[in-house]
Amino acid sequence: MQKHLQDNICEERLFSSIFKKYAKDLHNFLYYKYGELLNPKDKVQEAFIKLWENCAKVSPDKAKSFVFTIANNLMLNETAHQKVILKYQQTKPKTYTNENPEFLMQETEYNNKLQKALSNLTEAQREAFLMNRIEGKRFKEIAEVLNISTKAVEKRIYGALEKLRKDIKEL
Amino acid sequence: MMNREELIVKWLNNDLNDLELEAFKMLEDYDDLIKLDANLKSFKADEYDTSKELESVLKTITQKRQTQTNWFKPFLRVAAILAICFGAYYYTTTLDTTVTTKLAQKTMVELPDNSKVSLNAKSTLVFNKSTWKKHRDVELNGEAFFKVAKGSTFHVNTTSGTVTVYGTEFNIKQRDNYFEVICYEGLVGVKYKSQETKLKAGDSFLIIDGKTIAKEKENRSQPSWLNNESTFKSLPFKEVIAEFERQYNVDIQLLNIDDTQLFTGSFAHSNIDVALKAITLPFDITYSKTNRTILLKRE
Repeated sequence: MQKHLQDNICEERLFSSIFKKYAKDLHNFLYYKYGELLNPKDKVQEAFIKLWENCAKVSPDKAKSFVFTIANNLMLNETAHQKVILKYQQTKPKTYTNENPEFLMQETEYNNKLQKALSNLTEAQREAFLMNRIEGKRFKEIAEVLNISTKAVEKRIYGALEKLRKDIKEL
Repeated sequence: MMNREELIVKWLNNDLNDLELEAFKMLEDYDDLIKLDANLKSFKADEYDTSKELESVLKTITQKRQTQTNWFKPFLRVAAILAICFGAYYYTTTLDTTVTTKLAQKTMVELPDNSKVSLNAKSTLVFNKSTWKKHRDVELNGEAFFKVAKGSTFHVNTTSGTVTVYGTEFNIKQRDNYFEVICYEGLVGVKYKSQETKLKAGDSFLIIDGKTIAKEKENRSQPSWLNNESTFKSLPFKEVIAEFERQYNVDIQLLNIDDTQLFTGSFAHSNIDVALKAITLPFDITYSKTNRTILLKRE
């Protein structure tokens, strides 16, 4: 394989650009998959430091899957596959603050149900669904991040949506 | 018309055109979906400040790199120096130790186990300090008196033969065509031409020009040369001359003298004139001395 000097991740400029390109995606991916309790930010840092230490061995086109795999493994080392509880923001957009207390109570109740329903999703469903719904990523982008087909992403997200709605109704 | 699932999937992927959007809004669970979607937004991941995180990663990396080079480079240097020192030390300590005496010189060598070796003139003794514990082997070229400390088998290798001992005192004289071992104490084995001869105290073993010469019992406790005197008992005159040359570092020429006739007597190492008289008087020989050359002549 031919390698050019500028293709070396050991060069800080290239390393930084790779970081800027993937770090946020990686963080959000970890966050939605494993929750914030396991410090997704630290895992991102660790994964990129590993990338730096192996910069001579990893070609730039492999860098993304390298850091994703490393970070995911770091998470797996720590999780005992406990339920992932995602926290939600209590503060509401201003338009809602004028609502009556009953409405606010209903909102909290709904969010609690949603929280439980989200933790009932599989990791695969949750990561794809939340990247789509919250980060506004399209199926194709998610497929690239997760290294799976667009069709699979679509299936996961739709499946997640149906499961959520069913769970919320039942709760 | 699209079915419900297709519409929802398209909505999820932000792919609805105006017409489809109208159809989507007509779905009975439209309100539910919008509500769910709105509330999901509050589950957003923590803010991720890419540039701040990058900065901290780069900081960690440079720190790591520094700490690595900080100790690694000096460590390499120290390691290299140590390796060289150790190599030199190992090389010198495993080298053979060689002790050599010149003409008219004697010396005393102490071996690692406190065995003592006296080296007569023009002799060489080689031994190895580092393997001494395993093999008490020395190599001898010339003449030496050994006082061997008790312990494992002690070997003296000479070009003429090998002498094996177990803690004793003995003298070895190995010169051109001359090989003599005298045992003063203990037991000595002499291996000459793959034949071993055991010598008890007072026994001696002598080979001249390949022939075994029988000798009478030795009754001194140590060789006379240790007392600066060379003693001969019925030995060919040429051996006497050769020893004389070694002790005084001179060159002796013989004129009209049969050097195979046997000589019994001794000469001292301290006074060349007295010594010359000692070896010439018995045969009625005259001598003349010029510098380092001595001419012996029968009238």
